[in-house]
Amino acid sequence: MKKYLFLILFVIVLVLPAVLQRVVGAAASEGESGPGVVTLDVVTPHNQDIRNVFGPGFSEWHKAKYGSAVNVRFTAPGGTGDISRLLTANYTSALQPDGSVGVDFKPPYDVVWGGGDFFFDIEIKKFLAPTSLSEDFLKAAFPEPSLAGVRLYDYNGPGKPVKWVGICISAFGIIYNPDVYAGLGIPAPESWPDLTRPDLQGWLALANPQSSSSAAVAYSMVYQRAMADEEEAFLKTHPDLVKASTAERMKNADYKAAVARGWHTGMGRLMLIAANARYFTDSGTQPSWDVANGDAAVAMTIDFYARTYEGAAGEKRARLVTPRGATAINPDPAAVLLGVKGEKYTVANQFLEYLLSPEAQQKWILKPGTAGAPDRALYRPPVRKDAYTDTANWTHPRLNPFSDALGFNQRGEWNALFSETRSLVWAASWIDTRVQLKDTYKSILAVENESKRAALLAELANIPITYQELEKIRADLKAVPKDKSDEAKAQARIDMANRFREFYSRLKVKAEGAQ
Amino acid sequence: MSVGYQPVAVGKRRGFRWASLPVIGRAQPLHVLLAVLVYVFFAVFLIWPIAQIVYTGFVSPGGGLTLAYFKLIFADPNLVAGLRNSVLVACSTTFLSLLISLPLAILSVRFTFPGRGLMSGLLLVPLVLPPFVGAIGMRMLLGRNGPLSMILYKLGIVDANGFDWLGNLQYAGVVFIQALGLYPIMLLNIQASLANIDPAMEQAAYNLGASRASVFRKITFPLMRPGMFAGCTLVLIWSFTELGTPLMFDVYTVTPVQVFKQITEVSSNPLPYALVVVMLFASTLLYLIGKVVLGRGFTAATTKASVQATPTKLTGWKGTAALLPFLLVFGLAVLPHLAVVLTSITATGAWYKTVLPATFTASHFFDALRSDLAVPSVYNSVRYATMATLLGCVVGLTIAVLLVRSKLPGKGVIDALAMLPLAVPGLVLAFGYLSISVYCVNHLKHCPDWLNVKEYPVVLLVLAYAARRLPYIVRSTVAGLQQTPEDLELAAANLGASRFRTMRKITLPLIVANLIAGALLAFAFAMLEVSDSIILAQNNRFYPITKAIWELSQRLGDGPYVASALGVWAMTLLALTILGANQLLGKRMGAIFRA
Repeated sequence: MKKYLFLILFVIVLVLPAVLQRVVGAAASEGESGPGVVTLDVVTPHNQDIRNVFGPGFSEWHKAKYGSAVNVRFTAPGGTGDISRLLTANYTSALQPDGSVGVDFKPPYDVVWGGGDFFFDIEIKKFLAPTSLSEDFLKAAFPEPSLAGVRLYDYNGPGKPVKWVGICISAFGIIYNPDVYAGLGIPAPESWPDLTRPDLQGWLALANPQSSSSAAVAYSMVYQRAMADEEEAFLKTHPDLVKASTAERMKNADYKAAVARGWHTGMGRLMLIAANARYFTDSGTQPSWDVANGDAAVAMTIDFYARTYEGAAGEKRARLVTPRGATAINPDPAAVLLGVKGEKYTVANQFLEYLLSPEAQQKWILKPGTAGAPDRALYRPPVRKDAYTDTANWTHPRLNPFSDALGFNQRGEWNALFSETRSLVWAASWIDTRVQLKDTYKSILAVENESKRAALLAELANIPITYQELEKIRADLKAVPKDKSDEAKAQARIDMANRFREFYSRLKVKAEGAQ
Repeated sequence: MSVGYQPVAVGKRRGFRWASLPVIGRAQPLHVLLAVLVYVFFAVFLIWPIAQIVYTGFVSPGGGLTLAYFKLIFADPNLVAGLRNSVLVACSTTFLSLLISLPLAILSVRFTFPGRGLMSGLLLVPLVLPPFVGAIGMRMLLGRNGPLSMILYKLGIVDANGFDWLGNLQYAGVVFIQALGLYPIMLLNIQASLANIDPAMEQAAYNLGASRASVFRKITFPLMRPGMFAGCTLVLIWSFTELGTPLMFDVYTVTPVQVFKQITEVSSNPLPYALVVVMLFASTLLYLIGKVVLGRGFTAATTKASVQATPTKLTGWKGTAALLPFLLVFGLAVLPHLAVVLTSITATGAWYKTVLPATFTASHFFDALRSDLAVPSVYNSVRYATMATLLGCVVGLTIAVLLVRSKLPGKGVIDALAMLPLAVPGLVLAFGYLSISVYCVNHLKHCPDWLNVKEYPVVLLVLAYAARRLPYIVRSTVAGLQQTPEDLELAAANLGASRFRTMRKITLPLIVANLIAGALLAFAFAMLEVSDSIILAQNNRFYPITKAIWELSQRLGDGPYVASALGVWAMTLLALTILGANQLLGKRMGAIFRA
């Protein structure tokens, strides 16, 4: 008996949870399966809570509305970067020059769901099929195709194909730990520039913009806000251009110079924010968790992460701030993949229809315990404006991006200006030269003379690249033949990093001289 | 082995004489056949997946071959610094692990003292810690408001804002934590080697008047070199390619982190794939250097320990003194486990600015049970890891026999291939397997389900686990074979035993300890394998435990607590596996490594 003690214990430990599970009751099971049941393959970065709500939800809805059972099979390979890689691996050899795929092509999944509009519009659009949702349906779901300048679905004009639809809304904000802030003796943050305070050195948790497209949206808000400031000042002196489109304004050299100045100022602010960074994590949820645990004082985050932690850790340790005049609001889309055919194509579009149905829209924000609510709150604002009429049972009844976003929001056309190059600058100046940036910042903060220190910080914010130079790099990269493009991009990144490395070391020497 | 033997079994099996076998070159046909099978295994399950990925590093977007990315790597000061730092971290980690393991191995094999058996078992704790959960535990421990900081605060050493361990320790922290996690690999191998040394050799030296120090230097140390070589190589290459620990300390200028960061970028970038090739070369180089330093000139011992050395009994203060280093190392190594256990029973958010959690709860365990992932994932993992270990043992033993006993030309290639999985980042191999699956789905008219990871990932998962953990089995079995004189097998053959019988009756019993040591490591690491699990197990039903833990840890609000709860379960199971295996063998943990 004694000889088998551990073996017996092993069996007990192995079996006990299965027994206990029957006592506490298992969670939502997978949908129905069997002959005749269509299985819809959905690839998504969404977490299990979201998948558990909308997978079985769709099955039920489909049975009620169309009378047949369907099964949703989710694949969650990680973040949007992983999904992009999976799709690229599957589609690259199959894509024809005209953007179609062969009839024999077997798409890896039927639907891709979750990410940001930048991800759907720029990164993976070539892998998406037009939806069969009718124009009337889309008009009812989205009376206004855009919110504060950002498209809520892929609307390109009447009759044009629509390749993605927004399902819910992400806003970006600041999560901070009031307790840690009190300990540091600094006032609560209210705007993005509040994150540049030197007393936050090592206390700011940031996500890596290279791997998280949502973090990239938050960072671009900082420079877009500065661009908007310059634009406002410019328009005050040029009232004739107030009603002109951005393209027309760009023809004016002074306007272009003003916007370029704004970009440079904004990127300088980001530099000071990056200098405070504790890390650039590849996990989206890490920054909020670290703030709630006091390992970081503050982080830039997606709103619903912050709301979850407000609930979990309490408002003394986690509070969400929507930065004044610069909320970044962004739809979280879903789309049918290219090459999906026949019955699967129909069901895939029905999945989008379900996600936009009033009952599914409410699930994003209903309080657990109320009718139709999920077991665990999702804390996300729905994308349909008409969902905001009865909010009594919501976890956040006053939340309404349609009224909150009336200030400045990120601009698609400004995003497009930097689609290839913004990552280049961030990667080179934050990630590749992180050690040098940290050392230089440390040396500057060690300077005791306040005015000298302030001057050095201003110098750090005066980043060694102008908008015009970046435009030239972008043009040069575009001119490179396709065969050499990856090489040229990598070389550009090395050159850019070298530029920043020199800049940091020059400043460090200066700071050490001033100590 | 019998499978490989059958086709060449000409004539009567019993009484079959080795010398009568026809010889190809200087190698025997059986060895040639086995080598072919091994090469096929490597080609399909190792080279193909790696080539699928590494190829990207050599191809320009237009499809032409290019070496441009390699030039770029060496032109980038950041990547060059990464390589340099990785080598330094790997060497320091190996040195520190050796420093920890060597005295412990000698004490546990050569002496008995109260608590020796228990401590030798307990020292294997790092083997049962799932990596994510380990990181959650360490982050809790080393957090600014974590227990270590709070103790310093209570002592008046730091202010109320705590001390930023993770931010300040950096490389020192990486080396320290890695060494504390990896020393068991070294310890197991050195213990096995030490136990295999014939005490008569040392006795003879003592009889000739040699001092303890010179016996160690001239007899013991040279004879245990195969085990040290095995341990050092495994630790060196592991720490060279380790990703989790530097990420935990936010150290980015090391190659694995650079590969990971660039590979996970949203935009396409071929540089990391070229960097993987550079990493492969660097690992091979490190391995060869290790071989020159530790493995050179080693010839198989002509005598195998026919009797076991009688350990010296230490009593009184000597026994206590011998126990101290065990307690110290165990105390440090078990800290993350303690943190994980405490996290799993901490009420959400209740471990903040206190040395111990303020309130406890069992609810995270129930939450884990309520999730549809937890329970099936444990069964899946046990199943996959068992299959992978069995497969690994068959392939590993075959390879070891070929490496030590055959006269195959170019068997160094097999050796290098067997070690290759260590040098390839898990993520790369995982994506390689995935692209094989994608390739089969798209190119085969009727792709069987077991090749399609979406339908049935089990086969590919088991193969991936087995391939990745093969080096452990190969290294420890090779060490065992090297210490087992071939004369014993030849004698059996001369007495008329068949090849299979010799293997079963002579070779296997003599190296069973080494095989078990390797298999235990392989099983434990297969249970805890991360990259393959995350990438290949795409459907809930097939999730292994690591993927389930990862999924749960991403849960907003209470993820890390629930993940810790499932982690505690995994740790318990693994600990019981090791203890159970040991008990079934009827020997104490410290002694199972003696043949």
